[in-house]
Amino acid sequence: MNTLDKLTILADAAKFDASCASSGSNRKAKPGSLGNAAASGICHSWSADGRCISLLKVLLSNDCRFDCIYCMSRRSNNCARATFSPDEVADLTINFYRRNYIEGLFLSSAVYAGPEQTMSDMVDVCHLLRAKYAFNGYIHLKIIPGAPQELVAKAGLLADRLSVNIELPSSASLKELAPQKSRQGILTPMRQIGEAVKNYAAERKKYRHTPKFCPAGQSTQMIVGASAESDLHILTLSQSLYTKMQLRRVYYSAYMAVNSAPNLPMPTTAPPLLREHRLYQADWLMRFYRFEAEEILPPQAPNLDERLDPKAAWALRHFDLFPLDINRAGYEELLRVPGLGVISAQRIIATRRVAAIREQDLKKMGLVMKRARYFLSINGKKLVTAIPSHQDLLSAMCRLEKPAINRLTPQYRQLSLF
Amino acid sequence: MEPVVYLYDGTFTGMLHAVARAVKDGRAVKAIAPAQHYNPTLFDTVITLKSDADQADRLLQYLQKLHPLAANLAVYAFLSEESGVELHLYRFVQLCLRHGAQTLRYESHSAVAYLKGILHAVSREAHRYKGLIRFRILVDDLHYGPFEPRYNIISLCARHFRQRLAPCRWMLHDLRRNTALYWDTIELQTVDVDADFATHVAFHGEAPEAELSENERHYQQLWRGFHDATSNPARHNPQLQRQGMPKRYWKYLTEM
Repeated sequence: MNTLDKLTILADAAKFDASCASSGSNRKAKPGSLGNAAASGICHSWSADGRCISLLKVLLSNDCRFDCIYCMSRRSNNCARATFSPDEVADLTINFYRRNYIEGLFLSSAVYAGPEQTMSDMVDVCHLLRAKYAFNGYIHLKIIPGAPQELVAKAGLLADRLSVNIELPSSASLKELAPQKSRQGILTPMRQIGEAVKNYAAERKKYRHTPKFCPAGQSTQMIVGASAESDLHILTLSQSLYTKMQLRRVYYSAYMAVNSAPNLPMPTTAPPLLREHRLYQADWLMRFYRFEAEEILPPQAPNLDERLDPKAAWALRHFDLFPLDINRAGYEELLRVPGLGVISAQRIIATRRVAAIREQDLKKMGLVMKRARYFLSINGKKLVTAIPSHQDLLSAMCRLEKPAINRLTPQYRQLSLF
Repeated sequence: MEPVVYLYDGTFTGMLHAVARAVKDGRAVKAIAPAQHYNPTLFDTVITLKSDADQADRLLQYLQKLHPLAANLAVYAFLSEESGVELHLYRFVQLCLRHGAQTLRYESHSAVAYLKGILHAVSREAHRYKGLIRFRILVDDLHYGPFEPRYNIISLCARHFRQRLAPCRWMLHDLRRNTALYWDTIELQTVDVDADFATHVAFHGEAPEAELSENERHYQQLWRGFHDATSNPARHNPQLQRQGMPKRYWKYLTEM
């Protein structure tokens, strides 16, 4: 089997990993070695599914021993199998990197020889790249659940980002759909990485030359739509991962029905892309807009409204708080206005220090008012002549959703006759 | 008094000098433009300036001291090569003299909003090209990166690659302006590119076959294979792909 065949198989098997971020690490260029890492992250291309490609995202092998029911590479599936040698991965990475195709390597793997051996081989690839090929670019390494502590500790010093996939939102569904994985095996390395990041950072305050441990932090991914958890359950879990485990990102991956099993959605089910999109919006609200999971979703309605974005839904539920005066509202209040983002809110605050904002300034400042106008006033004057009734406002907000949202809901389905 | 038109030589120094001079003269200004792009009209009072590095430097120092962002606004305005940026810069400097560093927060003023918008557009394009430039490795192990940016961002890209690809010899070639920067692993210099070579690249979007190193096609094929395999057909969304990577970038991309 030649390299192209292997690459095709192993990139195809890696496509279910949503993460492709290369941000958060500012690895400086070193004399004699190739590459650095840009703190902002750089996208190098976009694939036909519209997701950005910034890392060479491949599996080391897809020859899995595990039999997770939702997975394409599970042992009992009949699919093409391949395994890279460490030198092949290193050669591809270096040659792609020199041509500026990629920002670095994202290495994951199926468990082909027990968690210890697999993890050890993956760490070897990183070591080879760093030591032999003097590669100084970005590396994202997946941690295999159940990997021994010393390997995780070693991986953190070689890679920029580590991630352990939490896979499913609850231990009950993990037991049902991924019987060989345990909640404990996933959370233990996650906690270990979180603590190591904190300890190394504290150490660096004392000794300047302490190496960085996992400088871009850790992330995780969970599958949405394969099991029955509510959105509130998912968001509460993410929130605790952000606050208790210091995760940088939680990725949500809409379940692609690749296998048929009695406890999975039918293979003809379309992936819940719109739900995934709404979850990401809610995730952004928690990370950048200072929302709590319980604010986004009240316990009596634990699922996100797919028709409109979670911030608009929150604002409509709390319409008594509006309209806010654009010249008086605080930063946190402005962040909660539908249609205003972090940049707009900062811009409003900055401008107000020089001159009061007038109605004719809004457009010049680049503020988009099509949603926000229902929720703002300027010096006591409303921006719309009459606030519509709740029902009309709701439908107005739904109409203002981007047309691209419609593409996420499939318009037709293939019928299965047999 | 008649509004005046200031003409300068098209260089960064010239632009700063013209702006400084316009501010100093205190006359009503109709336009500030590079002499080569200026279409004379019948009743214009034209002042053609000979660039004065000293005065230009003083203005830049002033802006830098006010706030590094203020100096950046001037630099990026120049790199944008948009017509009319000079007049906005002139208004901005006037505003700075009145309000000091506060001016940078004055987002509702048209000159500040315009210059910040230009800064954003130019740095966004530079950032995009940091990812979208594709190097071809030629027979003499030169990494050749052709591109056609809308703004004059070759220097911003070079600043990025001199860190990243420091051990490699590379050349960035802006085919739109036919300027090239060459890094010989020690220093950066401007070079002229052979006209036939440039024509071939501009026409085919690829360096001539004879010039490519022997492995080049192999790795290009691997990259294309990876690019196709990594996309998920169940999420096929070409509109989103074009949103991230509009078609004007496709010409020199190996994978498209």
